[in-house]
Amino acid sequence: MKGSYIGQAWPVIVLGFFFGAALAGVHAALSPRIAANRLNDTLSQIPALIPGATRGAPMEVGNQIVYRALDADGSTVGWVLPAGGQGFADRIELLIGLDREARAITGLYVLQQNETPGLGNRITEKEFRQRFAGQSAQAPLSVVKGRVGGAGEVEAVTGATVSSQSVVGIVNGAVAQFRRERPEATP
Amino acid sequence: MAESLANPVASTSAPAGPAPEEPAPALTVAPGPHIAYGALTTRRMMLDVILASLPLVAVSLWVFRAYAAFQIGLSVVSALVAERVFVALRHRSSTLGDFSATVTGLILGLSIPPAAPWYVSVVGAFAGIGFGKIVFGGLGQNIFNPAMVGRAFVMIAFPAAFGVATYVAPGLSADAATGATPLTALKMSGETPPLIPLFLGLAKGSVGETSALAALIGGLYLCIRGTAAWRIPTAAVIAMSLLTGAASLIHPSPWTVAHHLCAGAFLFGAFFILTDPVSSPLTARGQWIFGAGYAVLVLMMRVLSGYPEGVMFSVLLMNAVTPLINRWTVPVPVGGPVPERK
Amino acid sequence: MSDRGNDGPTPVERFIGGLIPENPVYRQILGICPSLAVTNSMEGALTMGGAALFVLLCSNVLISLIRPLLKPHLRILIFTLTIATFVTIADRFLAAFLYDMSKQLGPYIPLIIVNCVIIARCEICASKQSVGTAAADALGQGLGFALGLMSIATVREILGFGTWFGKWLGWRVIPTAPAEVWSPWIIMILPPGAFLTLGLLLGVFNILTARRKSA
Repeated sequence: MKGSYIGQAWPVIVLGFFFGAALAGVHAALSPRIAANRLNDTLSQIPALIPGATRGAPMEVGNQIVYRALDADGSTVGWVLPAGGQGFADRIELLIGLDREARAITGLYVLQQNETPGLGNRITEKEFRQRFAGQSAQAPLSVVKGRVGGAGEVEAVTGATVSSQSVVGIVNGAVAQFRRERPEATP
Repeated sequence: MAESLANPVASTSAPAGPAPEEPAPALTVAPGPHIAYGALTTRRMMLDVILASLPLVAVSLWVFRAYAAFQIGLSVVSALVAERVFVALRHRSSTLGDFSATVTGLILGLSIPPAAPWYVSVVGAFAGIGFGKIVFGGLGQNIFNPAMVGRAFVMIAFPAAFGVATYVAPGLSADAATGATPLTALKMSGETPPLIPLFLGLAKGSVGETSALAALIGGLYLCIRGTAAWRIPTAAVIAMSLLTGAASLIHPSPWTVAHHLCAGAFLFGAFFILTDPVSSPLTARGQWIFGAGYAVLVLMMRVLSGYPEGVMFSVLLMNAVTPLINRWTVPVPVGGPVPERK
Repeated sequence: MSDRGNDGPTPVERFIGGLIPENPVYRQILGICPSLAVTNSMEGALTMGGAALFVLLCSNVLISLIRPLLKPHLRILIFTLTIATFVTIADRFLAAFLYDMSKQLGPYIPLIIVNCVIIARCEICASKQSVGTAAADALGQGLGFALGLMSIATVREILGFGTWFGKWLGWRVIPTAPAEVWSPWIIMILPPGAFLTLGLLLGVFNILTARRKSA
């Protein structure tokens, strides 16, 4: 016994079982709370993204999880799409608000980003995000530099063209995908 | 200059201690101060730089008026205060007399946007003298050009102060219109400014970088006096001309060779900043490589990077490889190579 | 592996040693990755310090308890297994109860697994000493690490944001001012600020230590 593999390794095996059980317990106890935290983080933004919305309900469209924005009476007033993609430094995670017919963008929120402070991270500021509100969702948006954008155009953050282009690209992709796959009849 | 004595080239090409196997050559051929030439002191060289920068200062005062006086004055005073404070902290006697801090402050002030807030030059001077020079052990020990270290620090610390809002239009004193510099305009919308104002200095830009003419006059004085190694700016100008010339042959654009030479801080950097004797190579071949590398980096940053101008980062990057260049280009002494030290 | 008897430092000496004389950040220069990565706010530094302290204490105690079972060629395996388990527990707890911090610190909490402070204490102390000694050592080293992180974060947050515990307590140290008057130093939020601050504080620490020795 002393020289065999089991004889030497039994503490590791016992510890492995013990730790595995402990982790499973911790996971079982905490994962509902963690999932609720994640969902709350998203849901709490919905009233700001869609005028008139008070709460949201997740649903699956295609292979995308989206949130139906509901008003106080429980009727659909818009859609919130989570979307993400590569930014200048790291992944950018966004929430995009769309109106009921998915014809116009109503708002934008940056869930997570790691862009350069002082330059790229200004995509989180209201001033930049408001450039999306009211834009049509039926054609892709484009980025313009150094001037106020017209219809279908978003002015880039000064000195952060790449970050701005990433955000616009993520928005365009997610909106186009949702418009292809969204349920025709909205309850 | 005294600090050159501490340079690895000077010491490795000198007879390497007692060599038991074979006698080391008695003659050394290395650049640097072997002759006791009393006039060639740090103080004289620094005064030369101050004298040579007078055309730049004059143009900047004429173009940017109060803005220029404010930036240059504030950064020189801050650099002197920083030097005095840090040297006192290290319990050394005052080094203000060699005017090196004055030069650092002057170069920093000339490289800051005219309408930048007061703290940009003050923090820049303290960071430049502190992080760029004193932590390495003072003048002669520093790897990087202190003024450029200070400018890099404030440029990353205060990106808003280096945006379009701080580049005022030339010729105005108060309520000046601000806007993109020629290089920013090139990057954003491909505009091409007329060449003559660019050459004279009537363009938007940092306080002292706008005038190619003034940089040339001051730079030629420095080269003739021997304070600046003439090979460095020459190599930079030749490399920049060849590269942009080749580029415009392949892909013609309204931005000519002359535009690239005159715009931004290229000439100011090549003559005044790059030639800092502490942070540039000692050997002749090394100086050619150094200047050419600077031009390549500046052009690459102008064309390929997110920044409109790349003089500061190019200088710092070339400073970083200076010890390597020195090692590569050790000249062969009279009588054959120096025997390897065991 | 038996206890070494009286030749090592006492538990109290070990505890105090971790705080200043053998501070992980300033004396051993260990755990530099989190010292640089999460110290642009006090909240991040405190959370990281707390998580590292929890992992260090649990791992040290557990390793000390099972030290008769450790075999020389399997000990590192057991150390990493133990540390990884407690790090995962800490990570899940943060995600459940401090979701904002968990989001902000991102991968740096799971990366405590490779923090060399912890495996160093398991190897140097816990695998050779009694439970009480190992716990005192872990507390001292863990608090010393947290103090190191918080000292760096103090400089960086005040200069970079103008606040101290800005997210939790909202304490503003430097009043907000228009851009002509004053501006926060963005460089302090970025990685270069972390290197510069660590270097400067390390210098200050060395000066103070040298003064105390010569005095």
